[in-house]
Amino acid sequence: MQRREFLKSSLVGSTAFALSGLTLLNSKNVNASTTAISLTAEGTNKTMVNGTSIFIWQFNDANGTGPGALASGIAVNEGDSVNVTVTNNLDRDINFVIPGVMVNTPSVSPGSSHTYSFTAPAAGSYLYTDDMNGEVGKAMGLAGPMVVMPGNSSNNLYSGGPAFDRQYTLFMSDLDDRLNSAVANGGSYDMNNYEPNFFFANGLSYPDTKTGGDTLVTMGVGEDVAIRFVNGGCITYPMHFHGYHVNVVSRDRVVETLVVEKDTVQVELSSCVDVILPVAQAGIFPLHTHYVPGVTAGGVYPNGGLILMSAS
Amino acid sequence: MFELKKVKMMRWGGDNDGGRWGGGSGGGGTGGGSATGGRTFTFLPAPTSVNVRMEGSATMANGASIRTWSFGGGFNNDRTVPSPVFEANQGEDVRITLNSMMEHSIHFHGLDVDQQNDGVPATSFAVGGMGNSNSYTYRFNAPHAGTYMYHCHVDTHKHFEMGMFGTVIIRPTDGSTNRAWDNGPTFDKEYIWQLTTFDTSWHSGGMGGMGGGAVLQRYRPNYFMINGKDGANAQNDSATAISAGAGQKVLVRINGTSYLPGIVRMGGLPFEVIASDGRPLAQSFIATEVMCAPGERYDIILTMPSSGQYTGSIEYRDIRNGKTLGSATTTLTVV
Repeated sequence: MQRREFLKSSLVGSTAFALSGLTLLNSKNVNASTTAISLTAEGTNKTMVNGTSIFIWQFNDANGTGPGALASGIAVNEGDSVNVTVTNNLDRDINFVIPGVMVNTPSVSPGSSHTYSFTAPAAGSYLYTDDMNGEVGKAMGLAGPMVVMPGNSSNNLYSGGPAFDRQYTLFMSDLDDRLNSAVANGGSYDMNNYEPNFFFANGLSYPDTKTGGDTLVTMGVGEDVAIRFVNGGCITYPMHFHGYHVNVVSRDRVVETLVVEKDTVQVELSSCVDVILPVAQAGIFPLHTHYVPGVTAGGVYPNGGLILMSAS
Repeated sequence: MFELKKVKMMRWGGDNDGGRWGGGSGGGGTGGGSATGGRTFTFLPAPTSVNVRMEGSATMANGASIRTWSFGGGFNNDRTVPSPVFEANQGEDVRITLNSMMEHSIHFHGLDVDQQNDGVPATSFAVGGMGNSNSYTYRFNAPHAGTYMYHCHVDTHKHFEMGMFGTVIIRPTDGSTNRAWDNGPTFDKEYIWQLTTFDTSWHSGGMGGMGGGAVLQRYRPNYFMINGKDGANAQNDSATAISAGAGQKVLVRINGTSYLPGIVRMGGLPFEVIASDGRPLAQSFIATEVMCAPGERYDIILTMPSSGQYTGSIEYRDIRNGKTLGSATTTLTVV
């Protein structure tokens, strides 16, 4: 089973903002003005934690070292010129959109490539996906997170925003194996019948999440840890923290001013929610969707969208 | 007459006189009839422990009997869903013992307890079952007044759905029952609305998977409730239907104990949202509806209008597309 964790960064022992694990698609030069990213949309068979093999789609990065999961990640700096070249190795037209940045984009036909250019927007968390195929693109795995950092290399969620000691991005997704089977066999499928039965964080399902270095949320007591939830699935994700309350900083880059201190953070469809977790106690605690059927794989608990946080 | 069972948690290191919920407030057990009682729950002798009740049933408005599991307080007729309401004061060190032969646990959701007492088999342990002790006393301090939940965290998708969940209320430091938190807003009466849905196929089936766990996927609820009651049962439930005098302030503790989010309305009446997840809001706000997602809690204060009867409701939404899957309603009456 190929899997590669992504989207963790740790500032511990480092003065610069360093991204480890995140598909390193660009330099982290503060003044970098142009970033080139290549993604290949492809189909592949992914082995579930219960041993089932399921055909999925994914955006894989140019090095062929994408997460091997359901998504690749992008990290850029605010103000960068970003060129994302998408090569389509699927059997149908797709496109590449980033809600809040660029929509209504041109399509890419099978076997061809297209470069999508944009200026990295305001710092925050974003979702990229295909939306030419209704929700099927997301349901099959054509989605991923984009993290935009402030242009000044600060350890803040946005310029002048809350600072953090470490950050994790948790990309939540799900699939309905009946849809994947229909797509693999060239059949049709009605998204109105979509009822997922496999669930993922960064493409992994518990217990794989606890050995995935970027999905096991490692923290130090006293630190402020930023966690970015990006909902790339087709259901809402009410994420519950054991052991801690967090401060909701923003929802889809809009600063939250009312309902801030939470132990359960609702992440709506295609939505991104950034929180700061003040690590108030040591221990190992779960972080999971409280749509508890989502803590399963093929109906078996505990799998799926369950993450462990380890604080010492 | 017992709608919501209440269990007083023992004080840690207490003198074991807590055989009764008391505190001198007395009364209040009549369920919504009094506008001055401040509380509408039934007060019951306080056990120092709860047992697992796996032989329960819930009767729906259409007469259907649904098999349930729950935490029972050791009193008669204690096989209710939701499970009993626990209560403690802010700052208290509290303890509660779970006795179980079968494998279960209690997770005190939102109380940020330590790992040892978190009730998660993968990171701490379960009670009962192979290789486990049949009893454990959970201990924690309750640092923030507010509304919380507790539930079994063993094979949770099955056990929670079966009814092994309830509400925890943390009172202000002085134990006052008409104030939301220390120096916080006051209220005249309070109710708990626990979002509840049943997919009855999940109640009757799913056992016998490898390792003994349940194999259940694709949750499709067919009963939509408030506090475990649907239809006329919810409308007529004195612990659910709100009854208070004109101008009185009613605290409603909305608890997201369903797998579905619910839109909660007070018949179109505006209310003030004051807290969520056991914490005061950064800014309270006025609304006519609030969405409570699974695991969330919202505390709202409804100031009763001058007269009339209204229909409060919880409208359950599909997690895929937001469509309404079902609703439960109850009455709001100015007396």
